[in-house]
Amino acid sequence: MAYRRAVDLLPRGRSSVCMFWKTPFERALKVNCQTGGFNEYLKKQTARTLHTGSSMMVAKLLSVEELFAKRSLQGYLKKMEIDYRECLKAVDGTEERCSEDELRAKRTRVSLLAPLIHSIRELETKQRELAETETLLEDEDPALRELAEIERENCLKDIQDLSKKILELLIPEEEADLSDLVLEVTAGVGGQEAMLFTAEVFDMYQGYAQHHGWSFDTLEYMKSDLGGLRHASASISGPLCYKKFKFEGGVHRVQRVPKTEKQGRMHTSTMTVAVLPQPTEISFTINSKDLRIETKRASGAGGQHVNTTDSAVRIVHLPTGVVAECQQERSQLKNREKAMKALRAKLYSMKLEEETSKRYNQRKIQIGTKGRSEKIRTYNFAQDRITDHRIGMTVHDIKNFLMGEDLLDEMNSSVCELSNQEALMELLEENGQDNL
Amino acid sequence: CNTASIVSVLRCLRRSLLGLWTTFSVHRCSIPPLPAGRITTLEALDIWKRHFIVKGVSEPEHSSSYIIAHVLGAKTIESVEHDKLSQLLGQDKTGQIWQLCTKRLSRMPVQYVIEEWEFRDLTLKMRPPVFIPRPETEELVELVLSDLKTGTEVGADTQQTCLEVGCGSGAVSLSLLKGLPQLQVFAVDQSQDAVDLTAENASLNSSYNVEYKQRFVFSARETLYSLCSPVTALVSNPPYLFSEDMKSLEPEISRFEDLMALDGGEDGLNIIKNILSLAPQILTTHTHPQTSQHHLGLILRLSLRPRYCILQKEKSNKDLQPNMDRGAQILLHGL
Repeated sequence: MAYRRAVDLLPRGRSSVCMFWKTPFERALKVNCQTGGFNEYLKKQTARTLHTGSSMMVAKLLSVEELFAKRSLQGYLKKMEIDYRECLKAVDGTEERCSEDELRAKRTRVSLLAPLIHSIRELETKQRELAETETLLEDEDPALRELAEIERENCLKDIQDLSKKILELLIPEEEADLSDLVLEVTAGVGGQEAMLFTAEVFDMYQGYAQHHGWSFDTLEYMKSDLGGLRHASASISGPLCYKKFKFEGGVHRVQRVPKTEKQGRMHTSTMTVAVLPQPTEISFTINSKDLRIETKRASGAGGQHVNTTDSAVRIVHLPTGVVAECQQERSQLKNREKAMKALRAKLYSMKLEEETSKRYNQRKIQIGTKGRSEKIRTYNFAQDRITDHRIGMTVHDIKNFLMGEDLLDEMNSSVCELSNQEALMELLEENGQDNL
Repeated sequence: CNTASIVSVLRCLRRSLLGLWTTFSVHRCSIPPLPAGRITTLEALDIWKRHFIVKGVSEPEHSSSYIIAHVLGAKTIESVEHDKLSQLLGQDKTGQIWQLCTKRLSRMPVQYVIEEWEFRDLTLKMRPPVFIPRPETEELVELVLSDLKTGTEVGADTQQTCLEVGCGSGAVSLSLLKGLPQLQVFAVDQSQDAVDLTAENASLNSSYNVEYKQRFVFSARETLYSLCSPVTALVSNPPYLFSEDMKSLEPEISRFEDLMALDGGEDGLNIIKNILSLAPQILTTHTHPQTSQHHLGLILRLSLRPRYCILQKEKSNKDLQPNMDRGAQILLHGL
């Protein structure tokens, strides 16, 4: 329901379909600077090989301006400001009827809200500045007018940045957003062809991690006979990696003529991506008594009697039966560490899923991070296109896309933005201020 | 001087015998012919796996994949990029694979064939006949490290020192240093081959830090007391096999590894007893006021893992009595 309402909220007939894949900054520029050299800049930026399958459009992104134009948002911001002022009063001790606990809660609230309020005030200042500059545009002196024009552009940019920052601050954070992650890929229907595609997707994400400067450490890698991949997992860490990767989870579908196909028929195969947040030692602990660690040594006589090169380690979590194994390294200890990492991520994501399903039982956010069975993307080789079904966005050049660089990043960012917007809309709705 | 020359003659003799044995056994086993055309990595893996199975070489699949991964510049075949596996190998690579796998046919351990192996987070050079560190010894290092680390918390101002008896390739000593860089380690081994290899591995793993290197002192056993006494901890993975079991060892071990590193005498305790008698003199004496009651002998704490034994020295010490199951990796700790 939330999503349907979000669509109903869209101002109709105002923006063209192509508005959709531009970043909010560009969109804002288009709205605000209809004249001037900026149009040149815009043309360069929009000349990308993108197009949307408009019939598949399921939701549309609103620009920052459109969002700020909403009364619900303005109302929400006002409410936050009032809240902040009241808390501040209490903390400053001008009102003395608070208990110690209440006071502490208010202090936390103040420090939580401070960045938001700070940005709102800054935005107000900038808006005043803009109004002042705009009066100068009418001045008789051409030099002054030119100066004012430059000043105005700077102001607009600052306003844009601040608005974006405010929106970011409003979007509720997920518990796992700042953690590292474990990526799991598994071949789905389609036999060897699905496995070959799984290997390509795994490589794509390796490239994606490299592109962002995140570390990528393969934990498991189970090959098929023909060089495909049955299942693999990798530990990825770096700033904001989970925040980006969480939108990659789901079923990826490939349509092409497989290398193994003799009659040249097109096949459709699938593979699944799971993105599990990697818990820190402090946030999640496992009782070592619950683990059974299997090594070569455990199965036979070890020690000086035997010289073995088998360093594979398999760990079973007895209460849940969850298993992780690793043979990526020649050192048994390293394999144990890696298998532990994979196991921890698996157990942690089970725990998170349980909690999330409890909390958001009623919520039907379209772009979820939990729907592993959801088909999110199609790679059609015949048409050389990739379509994301959640946002109805299509890009071309599969080869380039599979490098895991800018094209993938663009698509990922669009999904991310739409998801943020959904979260924001839901927040505003929950606040009961949505009277549009 | 005389003894030294005899020892070196013996070593030469041993090496040439080893060489002879290798050539001899290789001739006995037929080698799969070098392929006429070019083959892929997957094919090479399969040819050698099957050949190892036919010839009864232990761990056929691991052997073939570790050796081939090594030739491809990787540590494990799992870490080779997947599309590389179905690519054709160059003539030189194929030649190298055939050469190394042929060595493995003579039952030479994989670690000696590729001349390196991992121990914890170190990559160490491996060379016959120096004992190849076993995976469970990685856990011994963990025990010692956690023990020494709690020790640092108690008396932060004292320099911690550690003596390893029978260092082999240097695996334990170098790992301890890696975990506790401020530690001072003395590593001794009766075999010159072992001491040389430890020195090599030390410089391989620490060439950037000269200080680290200087902390190593290699020496024969006799000068031990003057060398490093007293030490905070004494660590060893001594030979603990019964002499009678030496006959039933796998060819990988009996033909290539230094049997002195394995044979613990009739009861497997020869070296262990020596180390225990050495311990009271060489370990720092305990001066903690709280535990001043006079315990006789020692407290013997057997950890949950078999084969490890942590011994602690009390203030009044008579001779330390070995009271443990067959074989032990010993960590002797002066309180």
